Amino acid sequence: MTDMSSIQKACKNYEQDLVLHYYGESSPEERERIQAHLQGCPSCSRFLDELRTVLPLTVKADEPPESFWESYSRELRQRLMTAREKNAWWEGIFSFLRPWAVPTLATAVVLILAVTLTLTRGTWHTRDLPPKEEALLEVLPIAENLEFYTSMDFLDSLDLLEDMGGADSGSA
Amino acid sequence: MGTGRPEELGDETLVTLAQKGEHKAFEELVERYKQKAYRIAFDFTRDREEAKDLSQEAFLRAFTHLNGFDQRASFYTWFYRILVNLCLDYRRRGQRVSWQPFEEHDGKTAEKNEIANPGPSPDREAMSGEISRKIGAALNSLPPKQRTAFVLKNHEGLSIREIAKIMQTAEGTVKTHIHRAVLALRQSLAELV
Ligand SMILES: [Zn+2]
Repeated sequence: MTDMSSIQKACKNYEQDLVLHYYGESSPEERERIQAHLQGCPSCSRFLDELRTVLPLTVKADEPPESFWESYSRELRQRLMTAREKNAWWEGIFSFLRPWAVPTLATAVVLILAVTLTLTRGTWHTRDLPPKEEALLEVLPIAENLEFYTSMDFLDSLDLLEDMGGADSGSA
Repeated sequence: MGTGRPEELGDETLVTLAQKGEHKAFEELVERYKQKAYRIAFDFTRDREEAKDLSQEAFLRAFTHLNGFDQRASFYTWFYRILVNLCLDYRRRGQRVSWQPFEEHDGKTAEKNEIANPGPSPDREAMSGEISRKIGAALNSLPPKQRTAFVLKNHEGLSIREIAKIMQTAEGTVKTHIHRAVLALRQSLAELV
């Protein structure tokens, strides 16, 4: 059972500095200021001692044997080869869909839509936009997706650090 | 690879060569970073198989999206960011099915687990296993950004500046994350002092 009263408190305005000091992240001036404070403050000294005791415990050591690393590389080479083969296949598709091809694709989609609508409903209303422009709006997200697959930085779309940022407030 | 042996080339050159389709160049990047990548994944998962799978997956993602990497950041900054995202995603997925939070800092969860898993007599090994479990749970209960900053500092010894680049945030924010993580862990693990 954790006894909350046993937790050593540091002076509030030194707490973060002491944590950074523990990690060797304080400037020479800060270090001097902290050292001077520690000499006259038993609470902060005990706080720093506690960090020295607890924080190394949080690291779990793991030294896999040499055989682990051999199979690691072998497996990964295999996975990379599979990825290369898949990539080559996608590249074949995308080389056909270069930027210049997008308007062509759009026109093709418009024609297909027009023909389909004409055949199924018998009418084709242009409203305010000419058919080609109207269909381009539909096609645009597809074009953006092509760009996404060919040149995106993976992290722009899978930025969990940001997605999960809300959780931070919980322990602030 | 005309310009020299892969192991003598800098990351930047290897990335450029790999982007041109030189398989050996990417394999050299793998050899260069596989142990660090594995260790970071292990910091998050504390499980050998999961760490292997996640770090390999990070290399695969890096390989697949290498052409989108413009080298404005260093390769390892970009790669570690992919890796950390995967580790956090793993944790999020894991939480849904099996994650047991070490909540309230009052030992209730720990007590419950002890009842559920009475185990063998409390010899030294069982005790150290229990401590390791508590530490793992305490780390798991940290918010993702705090945990990331903490692990990269405390376990990997990266500088605040490097961590800020990986997390794409200000150095002051990284300091705050580390500070909060340390305070939360001290509370969770006070009984170990
Ligand atoms: Zn003090």
